[in-house]
Amino acid sequence: MHEPEKIRSIDAESLSGHRFPYQEDIALVEDVDLVAATPGEDLNWLEDIELLQEEGTPAVFDRYSNSFLRIYFPIPGGRENEIARKVLIKHLQEGNSYGIQLKAKHCKFPQPELGPWVKGSEMVGTDYQRPVLEGWEPPAH
Amino acid sequence: MESVTRITYDARGLVEPDVTVPRVSEIEDGRATFDATELTTRQINAELRWLLYDQGLEDVTILNPRSRHSIATGILTRCRITIDGSLGYFGATMLDGPEVHIKGRVGWSSCQNMMSGVVVIDGNAGSLTAAALRGGDVVCRGRVGARTGIDQKGGTIIVCGDAGSMTGFMMQRGRQIILGDVGPGLGDSMYDGTIYVGGRVKSLGVDCVPGEWTDADTELIERKFRIYGLGDPPELQKFVCGKQLYNYDTLEPSERKLVL
Repeated sequence: MHEPEKIRSIDAESLSGHRFPYQEDIALVEDVDLVAATPGEDLNWLEDIELLQEEGTPAVFDRYSNSFLRIYFPIPGGRENEIARKVLIKHLQEGNSYGIQLKAKHCKFPQPELGPWVKGSEMVGTDYQRPVLEGWEPPAH
Repeated sequence: MESVTRITYDARGLVEPDVTVPRVSEIEDGRATFDATELTTRQINAELRWLLYDQGLEDVTILNPRSRHSIATGILTRCRITIDGSLGYFGATMLDGPEVHIKGRVGWSSCQNMMSGVVVIDGNAGSLTAAALRGGDVVCRGRVGARTGIDQKGGTIIVCGDAGSMTGFMMQRGRQIILGDVGPGLGDSMYDGTIYVGGRVKSLGVDCVPGEWTDADTELIERKFRIYGLGDPPELQKFVCGKQLYNYDTLEPSERKLVL
């Protein structure tokens, strides 16, 4: 009997099927403006975002997909949390978070696809149709 | 004399079948204002979403909310929303991005489940304020009820007045700054996070202990006081988790993610 592979640590790569360039090149995240990217006058919710580790690899946690986003480039000393936040914001702004990718198909009410991260984002969820079980008929009463 | 009690509107908006957007707002210079006096809950929220999502406006004022429940919920874009009055329960909840100013009081469970954003409440707030907060700032210039920040997983809650019992119950991350007195059971069963209290603490909850003050605490307090115009910070006590209830050396991945 075939036993399916058990994935214990679901990360962003497993969910999307590939790595993203900003996981491997610090130059791609250096220009991310963290304060401008978040509501309020300070880092706001990013204060809770820190550089963590997933299976020994530096990683930042993406709440929108409940997964870790691994970081493969060397992180300069003293900038651990800043770089982790910049990688996460880049991930969200480019719409690569798995939670964002699911929106177009599954969200049940109209909302901007990229949420608060990108101004003027395309609307999704405007034509949600409730799935209907084949052969099922609503009761007469 | 016969006493007649008549409910003239559906405060919860649950039986309002009309989803037509009222389109009653006055729009000028990129800002919109509408009077909610004659609108139902559903119509108010439909008007708000129409302005923010379809019209692309970023600054909306709602006049005369009349303490209706569930107003300004589930808004997932950067914008400014001003509520010129008080709200009932579940006001300004499930937000991701908005900066909301409520110029009155709010009922229970306001600001719960916010991912990011800022909510400033000028009056008092009910119990369960900012329950399960994930991120962002919630500032209540008045007092709050019991179980403020229950299950908080991030963000900062600032209360200028007193807080009720079981404040910070099951807190997992984030920060609370309570400038007044706090009721019994502060930080009961908290897993992580920090609670600062300016007044008296009736009693500490299970596994909530005094913490050591650091420069990072001073920086946080001074920054938040400056941003929200709260004046000079008073002397605060710091409380953290004593970690005596930790039963695992390492968390399973699924459990670990629950507290991130």
